[in-house]
Amino acid sequence: MIVGSQGGRFRVVTKYVGLCGLLLATVLKSAAYAADGNLVLGIFPRYNATDTATMYMPLADYLSQRLGNIKVTVATTKDFDTFWKGVEDQKYDVVHFNQYQFIRSAKNYRVIAHSQEFGRNAVAGAIFVRRDSGITDLTQLRGRTVIFGGGRDAMLSYIAPRFLLMRAGLKDEDFKSEFAVNPPNALLALYHRQADAAGGGDILVDLPVVKNAIDAGELKVLAMTDPLLFLPWAVKRTMPAKLRNSIQSILTELGQDPAGKEILKAAKTSGINKAEDKDYAVHRTMVKAVMGPKGMGR
Amino acid sequence: MEGAQSANVTIADPERGAMRFGLRAKFIVTVLLILTVTMAANTWYFVHTSTQRQEQQLRERGHALGRLISLISPQAIIAFDYLQLNDYTREVSAQPDVVYGVIVTPKGIPISTYIRGADAATRHQAQAARPDDLVETLRRLGGEADLLSLDFPIVHNDVELGRFLVGLSRGSLHKEIHRQLVTQLLLLAAVVLFLGAAIYTVFRFNVLQPIQKLITASRVVARGEYAVVDVDSTDEFGMLARAFNAMASEVKHKQERLQRQANFDSLTGLPNRMMAFERIGLEVQRAKRQGERFALMFIDLDNFKDVNDSLGHPAGDRLLVDIGARLKDCMRACDTVARLGGDEFLVVVPTFSDEAEIERIAARIAKAVSEPQLLCGRKVVAKCSIGVAIYPDNGESVEALMANADNAMYQAKAVHSGSAMFFTEEMNTRLRERVLLEQGLDAAVEQGQLTLFFQPVHQTRCGRLKGAEVLLRWRHPERGFISPADFVPVAEASGQIVQIGDWVLEQACRCWSAWRSAGIDPGSLAINISSVQFKRNISERLGRLMAAYGIPPHALELELTERVLLEDHKQVAEEFTKLRALGVRLALDDFGTGYSSLSYLKYFRFDLLKIDRSFVAGLPDSLDDASVVKAILAMAAGLDLEVVAEGVETHTQLQFLSAQACDYAQGYLIAKPMDEMSYGKYLQELNAGGAEGAISRLMGGVAARDAISF
Repeated sequence: MIVGSQGGRFRVVTKYVGLCGLLLATVLKSAAYAADGNLVLGIFPRYNATDTATMYMPLADYLSQRLGNIKVTVATTKDFDTFWKGVEDQKYDVVHFNQYQFIRSAKNYRVIAHSQEFGRNAVAGAIFVRRDSGITDLTQLRGRTVIFGGGRDAMLSYIAPRFLLMRAGLKDEDFKSEFAVNPPNALLALYHRQADAAGGGDILVDLPVVKNAIDAGELKVLAMTDPLLFLPWAVKRTMPAKLRNSIQSILTELGQDPAGKEILKAAKTSGINKAEDKDYAVHRTMVKAVMGPKGMGR
Repeated sequence: MEGAQSANVTIADPERGAMRFGLRAKFIVTVLLILTVTMAANTWYFVHTSTQRQEQQLRERGHALGRLISLISPQAIIAFDYLQLNDYTREVSAQPDVVYGVIVTPKGIPISTYIRGADAATRHQAQAARPDDLVETLRRLGGEADLLSLDFPIVHNDVELGRFLVGLSRGSLHKEIHRQLVTQLLLLAAVVLFLGAAIYTVFRFNVLQPIQKLITASRVVARGEYAVVDVDSTDEFGMLARAFNAMASEVKHKQERLQRQANFDSLTGLPNRMMAFERIGLEVQRAKRQGERFALMFIDLDNFKDVNDSLGHPAGDRLLVDIGARLKDCMRACDTVARLGGDEFLVVVPTFSDEAEIERIAARIAKAVSEPQLLCGRKVVAKCSIGVAIYPDNGESVEALMANADNAMYQAKAVHSGSAMFFTEEMNTRLRERVLLEQGLDAAVEQGQLTLFFQPVHQTRCGRLKGAEVLLRWRHPERGFISPADFVPVAEASGQIVQIGDWVLEQACRCWSAWRSAGIDPGSLAINISSVQFKRNISERLGRLMAAYGIPPHALELELTERVLLEDHKQVAEEFTKLRALGVRLALDDFGTGYSSLSYLKYFRFDLLKIDRSFVAGLPDSLDDASVVKAILAMAAGLDLEVVAEGVETHTQLQFLSAQACDYAQGYLIAKPMDEMSYGKYLQELNAGGAEGAISRLMGGVAARDAISF
């Protein structure tokens, strides 16, 4: 799903003409976003496509309403790979994805906000073990099975826990890695003794889907990272500042009126706050340690 | 059948209540039992097959779910998608009858557990269960006692990834079975009741009612009444009813015959003793109710036995039949004429004006009875004695009236044959005396109250002693001498005469022997023999006594009355022959007073006749008596029989007899009866010539007068 427009070319004939042309181009470019009338809101497939569309359609409509003659449509994919391809191709004007994806696409996208979930702005990466496992230190996981939720590009479910293991001296080959289809399942697998440890956000154990499925009291956090800001909202770096600012304002002000709260509720988000690139410095450190320079996307 | 009535049977059964477990109850119980067992078996079969079918359906449903989960689970297991597995197990557990759905690892560790209706804590309990106890824990946590537990392997590329355990409750199956069972039972009850009622109705109308009719009719018949069962069917009960009717008809006819035989005399057709008593009973009730009188006339033919013996029983029966018919003809329709048995008849006269009318009726009866009748070529004239008893004067019960009428008849017969007598209290007195005599006779022999007297018999021409007639006397300690005329009939009637007769024979023999031993010639002793005694083999008894006492045959003479001869001629003839063989002389006593059949004299050989004193008493003035005596003497002379005249009390009598060549005389004129001692002296005097002389003078005097007379 592509939503986009080509910027105009400016020929500097003269300084003035050039300056005027630059000014005109800037104006024209801004006018082009407005004249196109469409913005693509890309949502990473954290949930299935249908649920995702249902969750964020109110937000898109709200943005459309608030942005005037700009029509905002929701775009998602059936899997992360396809979604990531869309990110790389800059098919999305506004995008909501995970921290690792933001870090990898930061050359094209600027972070403007982050989600707040369960009333928390940040969540730490954690390693969980069963209380009856007898494991009290990360080094005891050597030779054991560690299960992670999602894939290797999951910030909280893989990169952050993997960072903890690295920091404890465990290399990739020192333990067996298994991947559940999503983070909650990683905890469920741990609970059902299909792994010796599970990696994921520390918030996982409080999720209703987990609580309803297992006795979370059987599990404990073995190790935990520093808090990591939640999922980012970003816009193309090419987006005019006015529009970017408008979108930022609209998103961060959702929690201030009932309609906005309903939109947040529909999106299963407790709030959206402003964020800037430096807020994800810790994330970058972890990604760099775990994924290496290639993983940084630069 | 008298009093029988025909009735169509509609009578209620009075004994039905007494029947505790009748055919009706047995049939109902049997039918209900059969229907219940049959329907119960059918219900059991239906429920059983239904249970099997539903069990199979439940199992197939479980298999379908299990196979589905086994098919779709591998991807989720491989991807550790436990939430997806939870969705599967939740969806499975949401299916009807599924209690739990659990996915376990190959090691039996549950990785997805869902128990219907259970909260998270309960599920966690199940997840914490040991693999060995998992199914039992699930069963317990599911709250289901009866589960169908199924186990399906989850395989991917021939590698077992786990197993899917599913438990299906049989609860709804049981509920359905219970519902079907209740329905079937209700249906069963309805069908049993309906069929039972229908079958019972058919049974009642086709079996019970006919049987009830037959039972009721049987009871009616058992009461002696006649009943007919309505026959309106051609089935077996119809046949049974027809057979019953035929039987009832036959019973009725037989009852009528029995009734007739029981109540009517078969010979004369008259009511018999039983019916006579019944009629008298009815008359007693009627008369008592109406305050009236009625008469009972007891009729007994005189000497009827003589007819039977002389002319044979068929002739006697004919006489009875004719007399019965004559009696019936001479009585009114309202009177009852009955034959009591033998030669006894009874007439019940329900209404009469006074005793004079009864006397007229008695006379009419006597006249009817005495009408001459030709039997076996001989004219027979029967006579009867009649005793009359009046209700309530002579008794208020059947028995009393019968006894008094009988007593009156007995008195009439005793006083004068052919007469009628009304019952009087005096008769009862006499009857009591008779009973007393009978009782006293027993002791008389044992206590020596009997004694023998001897009345001499002398030749009329020369006065020579022939001997004596032995006479029996009873010296009663309170009543003094009792005449043989009083007690001998009683002894004969009671049979005591045999013992008494034996005693007389022995005493006579003893006396003769004693006199002879004393050198006295006692002449012959004439001993009266009763007909009863004669029949008891008297020759043998006499033979023993003669031998014992050394009595020569000519010294004994047995006096027999014509009554002896009326018995069985053959037996009498045999006894006669035996007595003759002993050499004993035989005399026919009281000749002329009975039938005086000359055939007896021809048939039985006697040595002498004894002319009864009744003929001698009128001599010589009564021409009739003189003619009879002359005839007897002439006949005896013709038959070479000696003759003894009894009751000679006057010289003229003796002279007449002597003149008519009567051989011997006996009577007060010659000598009164005397006891043993006196007769012994008499004999001594005769031997000495004293008495002999006196007798000879007496006899001689007779001869002199005879000479004068003739």
